[in-house]
Amino acid sequence: MPLLELAGITKDYRLGKTFVHALRGLDLTIEQGEIVALMGPSGSGKSTLMHILGALDTPTSGTAAFDGQSLQQLSENQLVTLRGRKVGFVFQTFNLVPTLSAQKNVELPMIFLGVPKRKRAARAKELLTKVGLADRIRHKPNELSGGERQRVAIARALANNPEIILADEPTGNLDTETGGTILELLRRLSVDDGRTVVLVTHDPEAVRIAGRVIRLRDGRTVEETANA
Amino acid sequence: MLRDFLVLAGSSILHRKIRSWLTVIGVFIGITAVVALISVGLGLERTITDEVAKVFGVDTFVLAPRGSFGAARTSEGSDQYALDLEWLRTLDGVLTAAAVRQRTAFVQGQPGPEGRLAQGFLPVMGLSPELITSFSSFVGSLEVEPGGRLFQEADRVVAVLGREVATRLRVDAGQTIVIAGDADKPEITFTVVGILATADDGRPQQGFTSGMPASATTIYIPYDTMESLWGPAQDVLVTLVRTAPGRDVDEVANRAQAELRARGSRVTAITYSDISSAIGTVTSTVSAFLAGIAGISLLVGGVGVMNTMFTSVLERTKEIGIMKAVGAKNSHILSIFVIESGMMGLVGGIVGTLLGLGLSAVASAIIGRMFDVRIAVVASPVLITATLGGSFLLGAVAGLWPARRASKLPVVDALRYE
Repeated sequence: MPLLELAGITKDYRLGKTFVHALRGLDLTIEQGEIVALMGPSGSGKSTLMHILGALDTPTSGTAAFDGQSLQQLSENQLVTLRGRKVGFVFQTFNLVPTLSAQKNVELPMIFLGVPKRKRAARAKELLTKVGLADRIRHKPNELSGGERQRVAIARALANNPEIILADEPTGNLDTETGGTILELLRRLSVDDGRTVVLVTHDPEAVRIAGRVIRLRDGRTVEETANA
Repeated sequence: MLRDFLVLAGSSILHRKIRSWLTVIGVFIGITAVVALISVGLGLERTITDEVAKVFGVDTFVLAPRGSFGAARTSEGSDQYALDLEWLRTLDGVLTAAAVRQRTAFVQGQPGPEGRLAQGFLPVMGLSPELITSFSSFVGSLEVEPGGRLFQEADRVVAVLGREVATRLRVDAGQTIVIAGDADKPEITFTVVGILATADDGRPQQGFTSGMPASATTIYIPYDTMESLWGPAQDVLVTLVRTAPGRDVDEVANRAQAELRARGSRVTAITYSDISSAIGTVTSTVSAFLAGIAGISLLVGGVGVMNTMFTSVLERTKEIGIMKAVGAKNSHILSIFVIESGMMGLVGGIVGTLLGLGLSAVASAIIGRMFDVRIAVVASPVLITATLGGSFLLGAVAGLWPARRASKLPVVDALRYE
């Protein structure tokens, strides 16, 4: 059974006075453990697709299933729980909570799942060590470099041991070298831990780690290539 | 989880120090005003009841004319009543009793230089000697001019005169006056034993703190002697009754009132607890009214909290999106924001309570100096608890609307917010 299965997905939303048809009948299947790169020009529907994959948003029509569970049948709170347990997000702009330390940021998803304080702290330290930030645990986001922030974000995405990591332009705000480390980190999540990673990216380097590249245009899949 | 939310809310408050403090100031000004006003009110109430207890004594009650006190006050009540004082003294539970009766009588003094007697219709008051011996706190410090004295228990045909009436009747201590009673009773000659001294400022002494100032125009004679002039008492102004040690004052007072009424005395028994509850009603009404006005500033503080929270929600739209993306339910977001605004209310409450108590102490000292009394400083635990609880609630309620708005933000829109 595939981890994610989308069929005939459309998504319309209003942006001011205009209707945007972000997705127009998209089919996509993602298997457990693979790394998929989603590419396409702006306005092609990458981000919208990403939101639907991460259960942040529901499609206007079509069917979306996560682990065989139809997303349309879940209540809002069930979607939140699914997100909390099975999905980890990494954003282009890091999206850390500025008032909280690195450790607290990593603990955040665990707080909402009700993980006990001690267990949470240990897990956060373990993850921060794993991404190479053992000495940055008490730093606030504004005391960290871009690359360090993105590593905190990856540690946070891993907090609840999710099945899938959704990364929206994870290297977009980083220099090539730092971007390289981030990509290597993401690759290892798939290779070592068997996690599924979906990347939205323009970065040719990012494409290199992907097992499969899907190109979108005008809300549809236009090309799908398997990397060697 | 609640503790984690407290930490999250706290870190957000500390992150916006200036704005948070300004909001807290908005809250604590109102709280300070309310706490100070209520505390001063409570202090005044305690001071007044303490003073009343000091004068009144908790074992004493007053028999006043019916309809002259409390809710049953009427204008038609007569201000004098019939009384059998000897019978009252034998009532179970009564230790001692003293009464005051008053008449206007034709009085003759001493002849003037041309031989004419000084005479006229003058007020005559009959006082039980016990009033002076047993109820001195009611009478206060009555002083007579040098060479005179007040009357004692064995005295029968003696009089004490106010300074003004003594002058008019041309008498001094040791001389006599003649008072005429009812037509069927003989006139009686009284020896003047003392003349009430006037106070330094020339005014008569404030003798009877129970509301009957010692008068410079009145003739005072022993209560029992009044009977020889006018018969059994139909003209009593006030009676003071002390109960036997260990007896329930209210019970004795109620029984005395009921039995006296059955015997034809139109009286109302007033005990210490009647007076203090009457005072309590007045002072708590006044402080509730003042606190209500001060409460308006609390409302303003609450609106301030609401405003701050709306700004905070707007500023943190993206943060709300992040929290939702990593697994926060709407109820979690709502809790975090309500706790945050409640905490600002609570901090305002703590600061306001401390300042309010301080302010009330200062105000009590100033009022005390102005009126030359010691005003009790009251820090009521009930008031403090209620204020702290109330201020948290004020903040939480003010934050409810912004928090609901925050919790309802669609996660995708919130994440996209710049």
